[in-house]
Amino acid sequence: MDIYDVLLRDFPFLLKGLGVAIVLLAALLSIGFVLGMAICLTQLYGPKSRFVQWPLVIYERIFRGVPIIIMLFIFFYGISGVVDISAFGAAILAMGLRSGAYQSQIFRSAFQSVPAGQMMAARAMGMSKMSAIRNIIFPQAARHAIGPWTNEFSSEIKETSLAYVIGVVELTRQAHYIITSTQGNILTVFAVVALLYFILNRTGNSLLYAFERKLAVPGFEK
Amino acid sequence: MKKLKASLLPATLLSTMVIGSGFATTTYAQDPYTVGVEASFPPWAYVEGGEFKGIAIDAMEAIAEEAGMQIEFRDMPFPSLIPALAAEKIDILATGLTVTEERSENIDFTIPWWETNDVVLVPEDSDHNVFTAVCCGARIGVQGGSSQQAWMEENVVNSSDIDVELAKYDNYVTAVDDMAIGRISSVIVDDTSAQEYINAGKPVKMAGKIYIRAPLALAVSKDDPQEILGDLNQGIMAIYDSGEWGEIVNEYIPGVTVPAIPGHMPDFVDTYQKPVAGLPELGNE
Repeated sequence: MDIYDVLLRDFPFLLKGLGVAIVLLAALLSIGFVLGMAICLTQLYGPKSRFVQWPLVIYERIFRGVPIIIMLFIFFYGISGVVDISAFGAAILAMGLRSGAYQSQIFRSAFQSVPAGQMMAARAMGMSKMSAIRNIIFPQAARHAIGPWTNEFSSEIKETSLAYVIGVVELTRQAHYIITSTQGNILTVFAVVALLYFILNRTGNSLLYAFERKLAVPGFEK
Repeated sequence: MKKLKASLLPATLLSTMVIGSGFATTTYAQDPYTVGVEASFPPWAYVEGGEFKGIAIDAMEAIAEEAGMQIEFRDMPFPSLIPALAAEKIDILATGLTVTEERSENIDFTIPWWETNDVVLVPEDSDHNVFTAVCCGARIGVQGGSSQQAWMEENVVNSSDIDVELAKYDNYVTAVDDMAIGRISSVIVDDTSAQEYINAGKPVKMAGKIYIRAPLALAVSKDDPQEILGDLNQGIMAIYDSGEWGEIVNEYIPGVTVPAIPGHMPDFVDTYQKPVAGLPELGNE
């Protein structure tokens, strides 16, 4: 059986690995989105008390400053004394919390790129702070955030491949199975895997760019 | 254990941990035992067509049947397996696992079921012999965290004037391929795996053997919290006596001489002190 037959036979398992990677990606981006947005809004419009702001800054610095592979080990082995967490759960949590730290800064820069005068004008016209954020600031910030967020999406796809170190059998690990059971063919197998990651990345980016074009104000941001 | 989250809010951290450990024992009792394997280590454990295969896989299934245990396999990279066993993330470790003193301080070994020696692999067209391959500025490939790495560090790198550098790999297949490219000049690997690479047609040959008589065994978490060490030991003896072990090994390594079980049991392993769990007549005095 040559390597192409093996690849053809085992292709469903590669796709299964890709599926695991996609679920992991969707889960970690969702956690990151909710957390990142909450942190961003609290940092910009929340109470200025240091008891609120400092923990957010510390959280964001730690999760942006520690390699994800270390975080995976800490979450899988470290907190197992308190909560019995599965490898997949640990991967989602570690990568989601980290993505939250990054996304909070993506959103913060997008919100801050909206001129401060708009908030003042909205408040002067009698809008509440919440309403001004929702109706004036957010629609403009969202447009600015899509570009950098596409970047975060792309880097997180690639980082899902690290989850195999704690035993999540995703695409990269499935590729290892083929390589070791056929005693080699590293170039061929990883070329196929690279293509799969590329297609996923490209599809996601195209969708996000299409979304960006749809939201763009005609004649203004083009 | 997911239910734990609900109890987190009202309970204090301490009581949560008490409840948590209570939950853990009840779930473990019903659930099958988790057997950790490194599924990129043929012929011991690998995946082919989506199924676990290999000596350790087949033998573990036979032992489980013998002992009436339910098991499920979980794959992890080799450097993660021993930490996972020590942290009780997995219950049993079944791979081509060498018994070493350092490991025996963190995990408990069953009786040895195999014995290996290490070989020096060089490219087929190399004119190095066992001495010239492991000296004089050579870069030598080993698997990170393996017993070969430990042996080389203890006996060559740190304790002699021989000028060599160790290149550590995630698994041996990559190391052997890297040697074919020429990034390293030799690979130290156990003889069972080496034979496998040669049979598979890799352009390598054995330059020589390092005769260390290293025992291989299964392992459980330290102090055997699940109380399965005795069952595993009896299971190993049972499949050896019935000839099933020999059949499994010969299926994966045709024509090999199967070492007797129990093999050489090193003094430094505390679970090899008499009486050995499940086999009270065995053990070091």
